Amino acid sequence: MIEVVNHSRDPYFNLALEEYLMTSWTGPNHTFILWQNKPAVIIGRNQNTIEEVNQPYLDQEGVVLVRRMSGGGAVYHDLGNLNYTLVVDENLDFANYDKFTRPVIKALDRIGVRAENSGRNDITIEGRKFSGNAQFKYRGRLLHHGTILFDSNLEAMTLALNPGVHKISSKGIKSVRSRVTNIRDHLSQDIKVEEFKEILAAELLQLEPGPGTYQLSQAELQAVEALRENKYATWAWNYGQSPAFNRRKTASLAWGHIDIRLEVKHGRIRSCRIFGDYFQAGEMEDLEQALIGVVYRWQDIKVCLEKIGLYDYLPQMDEEELARLISG
Amino acid sequence: MNIPKKLLYTKEHEWIKVNGDKGHVGITDYAQHHLGDIVFVELPELDEEVAAGESMGVVESVKAVATLFSPVSGQVMEVNEELEEAPELLNEDPYGNWIAIIELSDQGDLEGLMSADEYKSYCETLE
Repeated sequence: MIEVVNHSRDPYFNLALEEYLMTSWTGPNHTFILWQNKPAVIIGRNQNTIEEVNQPYLDQEGVVLVRRMSGGGAVYHDLGNLNYTLVVDENLDFANYDKFTRPVIKALDRIGVRAENSGRNDITIEGRKFSGNAQFKYRGRLLHHGTILFDSNLEAMTLALNPGVHKISSKGIKSVRSRVTNIRDHLSQDIKVEEFKEILAAELLQLEPGPGTYQLSQAELQAVEALRENKYATWAWNYGQSPAFNRRKTASLAWGHIDIRLEVKHGRIRSCRIFGDYFQAGEMEDLEQALIGVVYRWQDIKVCLEKIGLYDYLPQMDEEELARLISG
Repeated sequence: MNIPKKLLYTKEHEWIKVNGDKGHVGITDYAQHHLGDIVFVELPELDEEVAAGESMGVVESVKAVATLFSPVSGQVMEVNEELEEAPELLNEDPYGNWIAIIELSDQGDLEGLMSADEYKSYCETLE
């Protein structure tokens, strides 16, 4: 086992580093990284982004959104959350969650906290979840990773994630809310997340004898940066990769009621119907047609509405108002 | 474990049933068994060009996300949209439920695949 030294707190970079270790690492040893992100929501591989997050809150607070390679639900990261990732050969360890969660449980034992596995994917303290785990397999290799809530802002977590709030029907993976807790609330003697990180690193190194730590070369860092730029920092991956979904948006405004039905695939509007009590069905056909193929993001929708001239169809609304209604 | 004789197999546990220049592609019994309950299938795109040994989608189970590799190069002629509604069909009948039909661009790709007997021996080395 070798620890790849990583001090980045950039969520895009850290997710890119995971993929790099999984697909391009050629060293002889199994690797692990311990990492923290500045505030971010990390969604599962097959989740619908819009369905899972409170986008206005993310925008307002500058919370970054990134899609990960592994499955499961959305999680909130901040500097109080420690993440661990191991990349090993798949053969015998596939779906063996206990092997990888054991070092976490042992590290906690060393600071006087009793934790246990719960179900397949979680680790809990007194029945409350502090660690969620997932795996991804690719060409004979296995990536196991997990979150560890040490001293996270649970209030911000609740605000950033809002599963089930929107009226969306999609086939994507839905998040499940759990009762969560921070490790720090269970300590008899206070320690910092950095100290816990060192204790955990020592436990992970015990999984297999290995040479300790490894510093990525300039060329390797550049490869991770390229993956960051071309994939993890892109709208196409983080939003566009969402499974297809159907959505209905309604609003009662001073002049009447509007009812919009949408189908979104690969992050673009695939079909669209607009109904209202102020106009006849069919009057909106050109507008509906114009929206097909537009990126499902209010800025893009606004540009489309400006181009077609919304005033001719709906003089009561301005472009931004309708764009935000459609995408909000 | 069920390994039908007439199919060809990859090391990544996909099968292909070839008929002329058309191939039905799916995942094996071994794959579905190891993955456990499958909860999501990301299908390739219709008309998409796929390459032998390259990613063409993902399968998510309660245990892990696994990449789906195309056994051959060619164009996607059809995808099994039923799996979007009912991914568990891959657990229930992995050989009865294909994922995509690919029009082969190079019959030579088939030489790189395993026969049922070879695949059986390969799986035994993994146990």
